[in-house]
Amino acid sequence: MPQFATKHFGIIEFEDDAGFEFPCGLPGFEQERRFLPIEQPGTKPIVFLQSLTRPELCFMTLPVPVVEPSYQLAVAPEDLRILSLPEDRQPEIGSGVLCLAIISVAEDRPPTANLLAPIVVNLKTRQAAQAIQVESGYSHQHPLVAASGEGACS
Amino acid sequence: MLVIRRRPGESVLIGGDVEVEVIDIGPTRVKLGITAPKEIVVLRKEVRLTREENLAAARGLAPEKLVELAARFRR
Repeated sequence: MPQFATKHFGIIEFEDDAGFEFPCGLPGFEQERRFLPIEQPGTKPIVFLQSLTRPELCFMTLPVPVVEPSYQLAVAPEDLRILSLPEDRQPEIGSGVLCLAIISVAEDRPPTANLLAPIVVNLKTRQAAQAIQVESGYSHQHPLVAASGEGACS
Repeated sequence: MLVIRRRPGESVLIGGDVEVEVIDIGPTRVKLGITAPKEIVVLRKEVRLTREENLAAARGLAPEKLVELAARFRR
């Protein structure tokens, strides 16, 4: 079983097919092609995306429906091609397709989720892309504070 | 901001080397053709925003904040 030494999680072991392949990398990280999703009991539902080439590179993400339950995907045809998904219709989150929003945590402002460009994963092929949404109106800095009220009730 | 009205087929020149032509106008979208020297980066603005956001997100994981943040979204 492959192993990788990470900065945040120590040495991790994973199945060969557990990683996500980003054929084009991510904007700003074009050379990073393989990430491993990691969930930890204490921080669910956060999904960490750990680079499998750079030990210190790890994104924190949340499943998009957790952030915005009514989220509608609008993936551009070129991204659907990268993901080996049919180009004649929009993928549905949940049915073989995972959709994660990268979270930014800065000192001087509340945490935000990038809903403009979620990470879309074809779970069948494990291909992934950060898919900038077409004419969606979603923000690259969607504040996470709004959801705290709902969470507090449950 | 400079505002100019253009019809399909008409262009705007920026500096000496950059030309932006309106190729087509649809009901919600405009198709632009951009001619620029190789060293000038032409990007959709969303790509730059996402790039900056990714770089910021990769800077720190702040473990103490994470547990609190995660709890907020747990069902």
